Amino acid sequence: MKIAVMSCIHANLPAFEAVLKDIDENQCDSIYSLGDLVGYGPHPNEIVNKIRELQIPSVQGCWDEDIVEGLNSCECSYPSLLAEKRGIIAHEWTNQQITAENRQFLAKLPHTIKLENLCFAHSSPNSNHEYILPEMDAFTALERVLSADADVLFCGHTHIPYDRTLNAGMLQIRVNQSNIESESERQFQTPIKRIINVGSVGEPRHGRPNATYVIYNTETEEIILREVGYDYQSTCRDIIEKGLPPIFAWRLAKGLEFAEKAEDATHVCQR
Amino acid sequence: MWAILSGIEGNLQAYHAVIDDILRQKVSVEEIYILGDIIGISEENEALVKEICHPNHSIPLRVCRGWWEEQCLILHSLHSTADPVELIDQFGVDVTKKLWDCVSRDTVEWLRGLDFGFVEFDCLLIHGSTVNVSEVLTPDTSPWIILDRINRVNVNYLFCGRSSQMFDYELQSGLIESSIVTLDNKSISEVKEVSKKRLIGVGNIGKTVNIASYTLYNPYNNQLKFRQINY
Repeated sequence: MKIAVMSCIHANLPAFEAVLKDIDENQCDSIYSLGDLVGYGPHPNEIVNKIRELQIPSVQGCWDEDIVEGLNSCECSYPSLLAEKRGIIAHEWTNQQITAENRQFLAKLPHTIKLENLCFAHSSPNSNHEYILPEMDAFTALERVLSADADVLFCGHTHIPYDRTLNAGMLQIRVNQSNIESESERQFQTPIKRIINVGSVGEPRHGRPNATYVIYNTETEEIILREVGYDYQSTCRDIIEKGLPPIFAWRLAKGLEFAEKAEDATHVCQR
Repeated sequence: MWAILSGIEGNLQAYHAVIDDILRQKVSVEEIYILGDIIGISEENEALVKEICHPNHSIPLRVCRGWWEEQCLILHSLHSTADPVELIDQFGVDVTKKLWDCVSRDTVEWLRGLDFGFVEFDCLLIHGSTVNVSEVLTPDTSPWIILDRINRVNVNYLFCGRSSQMFDYELQSGLIESSIVTLDNKSISEVKEVSKKRLIGVGNIGKTVNIASYTLYNPYNNQLKFRQINY
């Protein structure tokens, strides 16, 4: 079975339509979305309507959560004060635009979806805000997959796709308990685990404006990182025409976000 | 030498027995750490807090927040968690009411100022885990989780009290291979190793009738000693 997995559409309709066309051409059997349907982009209702119409299973992303609950995370969710200010403008605009029905739909999205040994999460099984970057400590990354009780963890949030294989995990431990006379030693091993970051459909940050997503073959376990060109200039025009910060159009055209380099990427807001 | 205590739960008699034992140690104790759960469902909470704030010995005392303290703060709307759901789920409404009754407003204010934990040398001293005060770490916890919780604060020793158990759990070695493929087909491989880490359950003072347990630790030579006191 071929599964298409996408994330971070971010209210970018032309990008979403281009990806759907590419998925169709690649004859995928099903599609999963890892959330952030809205935010940054100019087409929030169009995206949510399309997701609902096509009945694409989706988890809730951090932007979807904020539109439902209000901005409930502190400034530590943003890598800089400037990024936070722009984020708030985009949040308020989206908050005004979204229909009650679509807000209700976003509210009901689950934090994770499980499909046999696969787990779909927006950013991490622990939180909607954690960045699982490729440079994350390998043991920490492994713990995230194990905590999802999965062999393959699909995530987004960072907007840069990658395929990480964690192999031959081993830990040797020794325990001395006060109520037990002897010491015990044990060795733990894990089978191969994978983290697949599916990138971003509507706000890529891999250095090009193209949309990214992945195709996963459940039989062969093959992953294909897909990059799809589309008319990003039309989205850029809509961003400016609808009064969103023009820098979002610049970012989209470049496929870059210099600000998104948090000092402690694993930091999770507790507020 | 440090004396590390947890789980007094308002048991003044047990606390006295442990302090007496600490004062009798041949190697002098330079610091006492109390890793939370000072209070519990006890009429002696107030007297205990008074003694901790005004000890009749000269050893510096450092206290952090435990599970009972957090439940108390939630109960008084002094926490980001709105309702004491965990407390009611675990102990019921009657106990929740008792907790409200057996801690004064002044003591609640004092609890509010307690730290979440302490990092000293390469040690973290905390009630539950680096995730929250409720998480219970024991020798049966997945070693991957234990490593993750220790790595979150980049220390070598994690002392905790939530389980009430006394144990010395050593992550002796570890290895994992990681390979990453990016969109541009760049491939990065690495082998990551684990250096030695230890998780120490420090026991509990007041939970077990007539038996109090605590831990002595020397941060200069890493010597660990579990103490069990009958009182």
